[in-house]
Amino acid sequence: MSDASLDGGDTSLDAGVTPRPATYADLAKQVLYREYLIFVRYPANAVGGIVISLFFFGLLFYGGEMVAGRALTDSLEGIIVGYFLWTLSVGAYSSISNDIGSEVQWGTLERHVMTPFGFAPVALLKGVAKLVRTFLTSAVILAVMLALTDTALQVPVLTVVVVAGLSIVSVLGLGFAAGGITVLYKQIGNWLNLLQFGFIVLISAPAFDLGWTRLLPLAHGSALLQRAMIDGTRLWEFGLLDLGLLVGVAAVYLGLGYVVFELATRRARRLGVLGDY
Amino acid sequence: MTGGDDAGSTARYRAEPGSRATAAERSADREGVADDDATGAAGSTDTVVAVEGLSKRFGSGPEATTAVDDVSLSVERGAIVGLLGPNGAGKTTLVKSILGMVLPDEGSVHIDGIDARERPRAAYSRVDALLEGARNDYWRLTVRENLRYFATISGVDPDSVQARHDRLLERLDLADHADVAVRELSRGMKQKVSLASVLAGGADVVFLDEPTLGLDVESARTLQTELRRLAADEGLTVVLSSHNMDVVETVCDRVVIMSEGRIIADDTVEALLGGSDTHEIHITSADFDDDLLASLREQFALAAVERRDPGARIEATVDSDGLYALMATLHANDVTLDRVRTVEPDLEDVFVDITNGGQRR
Repeated sequence: MSDASLDGGDTSLDAGVTPRPATYADLAKQVLYREYLIFVRYPANAVGGIVISLFFFGLLFYGGEMVAGRALTDSLEGIIVGYFLWTLSVGAYSSISNDIGSEVQWGTLERHVMTPFGFAPVALLKGVAKLVRTFLTSAVILAVMLALTDTALQVPVLTVVVVAGLSIVSVLGLGFAAGGITVLYKQIGNWLNLLQFGFIVLISAPAFDLGWTRLLPLAHGSALLQRAMIDGTRLWEFGLLDLGLLVGVAAVYLGLGYVVFELATRRARRLGVLGDY
Repeated sequence: MTGGDDAGSTARYRAEPGSRATAAERSADREGVADDDATGAAGSTDTVVAVEGLSKRFGSGPEATTAVDDVSLSVERGAIVGLLGPNGAGKTTLVKSILGMVLPDEGSVHIDGIDARERPRAAYSRVDALLEGARNDYWRLTVRENLRYFATISGVDPDSVQARHDRLLERLDLADHADVAVRELSRGMKQKVSLASVLAGGADVVFLDEPTLGLDVESARTLQTELRRLAADEGLTVVLSSHNMDVVETVCDRVVIMSEGRIIADDTVEALLGGSDTHEIHITSADFDDDLLASLREQFALAAVERRDPGARIEATVDSDGLYALMATLHANDVTLDRVRTVEPDLEDVFVDITNGGQRR
């Protein structure tokens, strides 16, 4: 330590300092900046995710072509859109649920709990950052998939971002819930990662044939995304009911996930296992 | 968003001019809040942490464990209080219950007069903690980035406390590493970063669990100096839990000793050291023969017997009555005392004495 600390130097820590209160905007700036720094400083995680996703798509495409031949290429556009949405979903879900698990392990979640903001808004902002990050990596995956398969799709950016974004907000809710359950039952975290394979079923659910499946996460959004990217339907061309349902499903699952997270962390505090990893 | 109101009220409170300028001003600022919220226990303006009848049990039925049992405690502003106890004594549960990381079954916690159960976000807005066995900060960020981040989540715009961060980094010898990712630092440096991040937002009360863990001797010693300085000059209140008795003895004004979930001693370091009724005495005499030594062994707890020619040197640990009895026995046997040395007890002796059955409270 410095000599100043030993000789009783006369500079107070707060000399000339007039602290200003932090606002939610300051919090958002810090959390998003932190996520950005980690993304650009440690690109290996993102690159690894892209490579693995493309590897599995390669297996699916070339393997499927060998087995199913023309049947696969006829439905290739749908598969690409579905796979794109799946990579988005997995990215959002696993990043938020794993992130919460890491915060527990590092002891930083406990520190957040007793701050004026709490952990929930931080987790929500992290979720936003993960969405942006996942969009960037999945866009790369989409571009490579289209090049590999020599397929053309329409990519109306606004429509795709809004529809896909709202679709995976519901998955973010599931990620919150899974993160909360991981806080409570530490060993269950890895098992909850298996849930991401269930997203394949949700994405391929026949949303317009069975009405109730529209209420599940991803299903309705997946159907709208197919229409946008294959048929070229623009955002404003969807019916109000379709858009309302898309927003409603996103809000309900995000809300439910948030409630589960809050209840789980509260129970963890009661059981004394909040930071006990 | 849960706690949004609390965060808002905190922000309004924090916006008051000069609310962080000095300890006295901070204290004055809080009086208005304390008027609204304080109970009798927290009513004193000098009491910054007030715990009343706090209990926490884990499990249920016959296998239930009482980790904290009806603990009451108050900590004065600017004090450094050591929390000691053997493993499983309930220290960590008590600290986490005070901090709201564990929800207690019974009892109340007031921070600066604010009921932590009713208004947790406001109560903890001036509190931070360094917990043992946890990273406490983000290793992939640099040292300075951590300080900025933790200042923000504690409710302070990091730009406004930049000078504070610079001084903290300087004092903790981290200035040269300010822009280095924490993961690249040594264990001791990481520990100092954790401490710096705890102090980054200007908390009035900090709970430090094993703060010197991993620090080399020099760093640990100067950290102690820094803590004392922060308490004296900045009004920082510290609750320090450690197994390092030297640190506690050197730094703390007061020591609270816990055992089996209860506080069994709560006094100043001086009073605890002075109040020990255990005396270690070393006596050398040429008159110690085999028969007398055998008799002494039967009557007193002799820690060691070292044969000399002639006589022997004995080491005994006795209470006051034992000391009188030992001297009477030696006197009755016409023993000439060649050399007598008493060993002053340190905090470790006192701790062992108290946790083995003595009670000081």
